[in-house]
Amino acid sequence: MMRSRVLPTLVRARPTVARAAPTLVRFSSGHAQESFEAFTERYVNFFQSAQDLFEVQRGLNNCFAHDLVPAPSVIEAALRASRRVNDYATAVRVFEGIKEKVENKQQYQAYLEELKGVRDELGISTKEELFSS
Amino acid sequence: MQALRLARPHLALRTANVSGARWISATASQASAASLHPAANASAIPLSNVEAQWERLSADEQLTVHQQLEEIQKKDWKTLSIDEKKAAYYVAFGPHGPRAPINPPGTTLKIAIWVTGFVGLGTALYVAARNLAQPPPKTISKEWEEASNERALEQKMDPISGIASKGYSGKGFVTHK
Repeated sequence: MMRSRVLPTLVRARPTVARAAPTLVRFSSGHAQESFEAFTERYVNFFQSAQDLFEVQRGLNNCFAHDLVPAPSVIEAALRASRRVNDYATAVRVFEGIKEKVENKQQYQAYLEELKGVRDELGISTKEELFSS
Repeated sequence: MQALRLARPHLALRTANVSGARWISATASQASAASLHPAANASAIPLSNVEAQWERLSADEQLTVHQQLEEIQKKDWKTLSIDEKKAAYYVAFGPHGPRAPINPPGTTLKIAIWVTGFVGLGTALYVAARNLAQPPPKTISKEWEEASNERALEQKMDPISGIASKGYSGKGFVTHK
């Protein structure tokens, strides 16, 4: 009598949790690609809030390390940041960086044209202008 | 004017080498004076000449130039002279220290000339060796090799798998085309 009553409870006592199928997710592949616009916005914000020369130069190193040429708005923010930290040389160096990153001279000229306003406003010469004479 | 300024230190060095003690003592006293009074010397370093003499400046003098340039760059950049702009760029990013070029200019040309010279020398040696050598021995000729074949067949040389075997299709001793 006792046995027949105990048995069902024992059976019921077994863990009946359904075994979850393992989720096969590679966490390394879970990142979304950052769009060019998001990149631009991120670096414009970065340069607008950069406090000192080290931060500005670190940001420039990072944003010129990608496989793209930073948008003119990023460059303008970087130039204004270098004005804020009073480093003329960095501003000149930014244009040298663009010259390295673009594919041909026309693109570089296009960047110079696009940024003419801020260059004249801040009084930034390029390296070619400085050392041509 | 700039060319003159650039040329002057080299000239002084060369004359120092030639005429000896008087010049050396003069430059030494200048150097010691400069290192004794870096602060007094601060305004004496002309920024227009920084590129030419940067490597020769002492650490103290370089520091004073840095401080000078920091002050200058705080001004409106449109009011800076071209010499000040150049000095600011050169001190920060010019080809000195870690950015100095590994090879002095003209290295590529020098290497190209030397490589061409040695390749030419090797070619000349090869041609000379070929032209001045003894003629090859008389046994290295088609006629001799065919005669060797005939002689081998006469002697039934190597009758199992070689030249005198049945159905042999090789060239025997002939190596010439």
